[in-house]
Amino acid sequence: MPTITIDGKNYQAEEQENLLSVCLTAGINLPYFCWHPAMGSVGACRQCAVIEYKNTDDKHGRLVMSCMTQVREGGIYSVDATRARQFRGGIIENLMTNHPHDCPVCEEGGECHLQDMTEMSGHTMRRFRGRKRTHRNQYLGPFINHEMNRCIACYRCTRFYRDYAGGTDLQPLARNNQVYFGRHEDGLLENGFSGNLVEVCPTGVFTDKTFSKHFVRKWDLQSAPSVCEHCAVGCNTAPGARAPGNGKDPILRRVVNLYNRDINGYFLCDRGRFGYDYVNSEKRIKNVLVACEKNIISSTAAPGERIHGEIHPEPAVKHLARHLAEVQQGRRRLIGIGSPRSSLENNFALRELVGKNNFFSGLSARDLQLLQLVDRTQRDARIHCPTTPEIESADAILILGEDIDNTAPRVALAVRQAARNRQKRQAQQLQIPLWQDASVRQLRVEASPIFFIGLEKPRLADITSATLLGTPEQTALFADSIAQLILGDDTGARKLAPDCRAQVEQVANTLRQAENPLIISGCGSRSSDIIHCAGKIAATLADTSSSPCSLYLACPEVNSLGLTQFFPAGEGDLEQLAHTLEIHSGTPCTLIVLENDLYRRADRHTVERIFNSADAVILIDTLLNNTARHADLIFPAAATAESQGTYINSQGTAQRFYAVCEGASYIQESWRWLVDAANFCKQKSPQLATIAAWRHSMDLSEALAANFHQFEVLEKIGPDENYRLNGLKIARQSHRYSGRTALGAKAQVAELPPHPDPDAPMTFSMEGIQSPAMTPLSAHIWSPGWNSNQSIIKFQQEINGHRLGVRGSVPIRRQPQPLPEWQLAASVPAKTSKTLTAVPLYRLFGSGELSVGAAAIASVTDIPFAQISREDAQRLDVTAGDIGQLQLGGESHTVEIRISDAQPPGTVGVPSGLPGLETLAALLPAPAQLERRSDREPGETP
Amino acid sequence: MSSTFEAEVIAVMEQNKAGEDIHKASLSDAEKAEIEREFAHYEDKASVGLEALRIVQKHRGWVSDESLRAVSAYLDIPVAQLESVATYFQLIFRQPVGREVILLCKSASCWIMGCAHLQKKIQEKLRIKPGEITADGLFTLLETPCLGDCDNAPVMMINGEMHRHLTEATVDEILDNKIKTHRAKGSCHAGPDTD
Ligand code: SF4
Ligand code: SF4
Ligand code: FES
Ligand code: FES
Repeated sequence: MPTITIDGKNYQAEEQENLLSVCLTAGINLPYFCWHPAMGSVGACRQCAVIEYKNTDDKHGRLVMSCMTQVREGGIYSVDATRARQFRGGIIENLMTNHPHDCPVCEEGGECHLQDMTEMSGHTMRRFRGRKRTHRNQYLGPFINHEMNRCIACYRCTRFYRDYAGGTDLQPLARNNQVYFGRHEDGLLENGFSGNLVEVCPTGVFTDKTFSKHFVRKWDLQSAPSVCEHCAVGCNTAPGARAPGNGKDPILRRVVNLYNRDINGYFLCDRGRFGYDYVNSEKRIKNVLVACEKNIISSTAAPGERIHGEIHPEPAVKHLARHLAEVQQGRRRLIGIGSPRSSLENNFALRELVGKNNFFSGLSARDLQLLQLVDRTQRDARIHCPTTPEIESADAILILGEDIDNTAPRVALAVRQAARNRQKRQAQQLQIPLWQDASVRQLRVEASPIFFIGLEKPRLADITSATLLGTPEQTALFADSIAQLILGDDTGARKLAPDCRAQVEQVANTLRQAENPLIISGCGSRSSDIIHCAGKIAATLADTSSSPCSLYLACPEVNSLGLTQFFPAGEGDLEQLAHTLEIHSGTPCTLIVLENDLYRRADRHTVERIFNSADAVILIDTLLNNTARHADLIFPAAATAESQGTYINSQGTAQRFYAVCEGASYIQESWRWLVDAANFCKQKSPQLATIAAWRHSMDLSEALAANFHQFEVLEKIGPDENYRLNGLKIARQSHRYSGRTALGAKAQVAELPPHPDPDAPMTFSMEGIQSPAMTPLSAHIWSPGWNSNQSIIKFQQEINGHRLGVRGSVPIRRQPQPLPEWQLAASVPAKTSKTLTAVPLYRLFGSGELSVGAAAIASVTDIPFAQISREDAQRLDVTAGDIGQLQLGGESHTVEIRISDAQPPGTVGVPSGLPGLETLAALLPAPAQLERRSDREPGETP
Repeated sequence: MSSTFEAEVIAVMEQNKAGEDIHKASLSDAEKAEIEREFAHYEDKASVGLEALRIVQKHRGWVSDESLRAVSAYLDIPVAQLESVATYFQLIFRQPVGREVILLCKSASCWIMGCAHLQKKIQEKLRIKPGEITADGLFTLLETPCLGDCDNAPVMMINGEMHRHLTEATVDEILDNKIKTHRAKGSCHAGPDTD
């Protein structure tokens, strides 16, 4: 560890580190633009200049760029020297000759790194009186604004977009004073991580367009640590909310990244960043809705669908309470259906209310089994669930049947970094420090081995060493042969066609030789064979190397793995529920559906059997959906950003999220509706009495910890509601939060006390502790002089290290259990002439149930389509763009026919969850028929 | 376990990034042949981008959006990346230019020797500003940094040919000669009188 001197003080620095990182870690405020903690240095902006002295006799020294200067033992540097300060001021002055003076109308203002650095450099006067160069801006799609005049040419945007995220449609254009960062022509930025430009750009060139629609300054946003609910990766977010001044409902205004070293680091995907807007959508349930007695004449509702009207919550809750009373008297059955997109706390509350035998997962048997298999696999001591930095450092990766670009996007971004590991190793051999980004990237080294086998050509294909396309059965066969080969058994491989065999051998050898092999798979193919095989390969690799092998199994939804913990193998699926309900059809039955659209979960027939056997269907949910159409009573549920709870991500990590704001109208956490109903019951069984006594979200977390061994960690994730720092709660609002009296003045001139928060030791106000770095409660990442998101460095143990203080994410503790022996059963898919197998395709925008409720995402979501191979297209006599009819599991849907050379013959790709086709997702894979709509006679030439 | 694989069932994808439905503007055979000759000099196809643009420009006078897309499809490099190269190099023209491209040196030596006057002269004579094209389609004026001929300053280059020790009078003469030749060849449409 070199010892260096900066302005007369001694510091210990990491070997090979650059001086800028050392200064920032040491807490020295040194301005910079182009350096980024995750992307290293390129020395482009010249803002980080300091003086380096040869020795103690050198009184003059020379200017160096700290980000490009490797610290050396005994190095003497000065940040404070007048010459260095003047130089840095000069750089700002130079940038300002072109930068507009438009901070008041710039959406970056108030959290702008350029503003911060300008202040820090001390250059606060403009001398330049000439003309500024101006640019035309581009339309970049519904997510991102473009205001090129603000550019300071630091190149961070293209370094992120192109080099880090693999995008190809954003480039530096032109040169000199005219340099321009944009697309070849107007259009949607194609990369799924484009939203990070908003945070990566140190100025207001790229800003969040969805935020523009309801913009307020950063300091006027109320925020709390949250977890992205749009997939099972569980990225940490800092959503911001604020009520409008017109007395209308509070608005969730944006989502930004909240650094978590092990999961999202500095980056979110676009579904996670822009999906928040579903909370403000027109489909949002804000009041209690009750089905009208009679269907209104000439309504558009289909048979069995109900028309709803708003009612006051009290009679509705009393109605539910009456049902609870009847249940206690044995006159009624109560069934609870949980949800993988609701918190552990909500699911647990429902389970306690209905009793564990009456609690069902809300998933089809197939889905629940897949999840249980994931859980089972992860319990094997040989299996290690890797963190994001671990994924990034894997030296060989095999992706099996999981389209992670669309099902676990942040993981795909990590895999992309892993492709550079050989290059990085070479750099180390050449003594090039890894932060020397441009030099390292220039090394011409073969990409690290990453193999993909799955249904559709992934976005990652540009960095994979081999991309194999096949059906789920083929993927499983392929994977199984690999597992066998690792053990030296080539029976499986010998049965393969020669070029497949060569691939299998290559993959097996590469994995066997790797130091940190990583297998990635998941529920995406909806094939248990694939998960079995993934587990088998990982376990085999662990056996041969006698250390656990990394296996990332992607789950479909934010709390899929959490929900799974409630059910023993073979219990709790919807088919079972339909069956049980029919057996006990004598007793009246109330069905409580928790944040779940059953039509997305099981085939229509099963769902209808369930609804028909219940005489009361009660839904608690956030958005109106197909299930809502059949509910007798609908309670408005709080969205993630409006509630507190715990999610378990695909890694098995428990993460607590906190309410950012209060839900509008009568919205409250789902569990609170149940507790309210319990409270209205006059006679309470001990069980009901316990439920009625729950007051705080933490009461449920604690009960979960007490009842489930794996959830013991829930008590330790964060402090409970009684926690205080210096006697104060944590403030959700910044100390600059403005207009709080004015905000409510429309309704009430007196300043009312803030909403009470029974769940967290936080207040919906600015009074309290700001930015409590040592707790996991801090979402307001801010430090004096550092108003932009760059201030995160003030909250890290070291650059790119863990957050300071207590961790907010803790792995759940599952009982270790070795995987049983498993053999792949021979499968020969039956091929009939007209039957295709429908298989799921995933889309970043479209497959997420909640995120398609966000207007911007909805605007770029695809239309219903079905994708087939050229071969099948010929056989079926259809051409691309034809309108077709897709028959699947008794359902018929109109789709656009697409043709892809990559689609395995015999299969038809159906976009999972896409609006219009959402009821098909649960049926896949399944036999299907596709034909051209008879608008045109078959055989007729177009 | 029985095998369900036939060799062609699992397709091994080639790394082909060009989308299937990319608008296909095509290059001429001559252009393709010339570009292909360049392959030998570079490690990969993508590095040929700049040369390919020059070749296309040589044939077409300038690089239109369609030409850019055609090169992008042919070399299999993202169109934005090619645009980045095209816009970086001043002598790749992304707008139509006149038959004669005047590159007037504006760097130090030529500036000392009075290139500003020459520029004024040219602009007034041809009635164009830098970057513009004369109405008869004959000339485009561009400013350029040092042409490496400082000892002969002020200088300009027209379609690859250097003109040295310029004065307003010689500029006048050079341009007149050009106009005359073109008129004789009938290769310019009658625009407003440029004299
Ligand atoms: S657009 Fe932003 S990130 Fe890109 S170069 Fe300009 S200032 Fe830097
Ligand atoms: S990767 Fe998943 S958890 Fe992360 S931001 Fe995207 S949708 Fe959200
Ligand atoms: S941060 Fe060092 S040169 Fe930009
Ligand atoms: S300055 Fe004109 S040729 Fe060098």
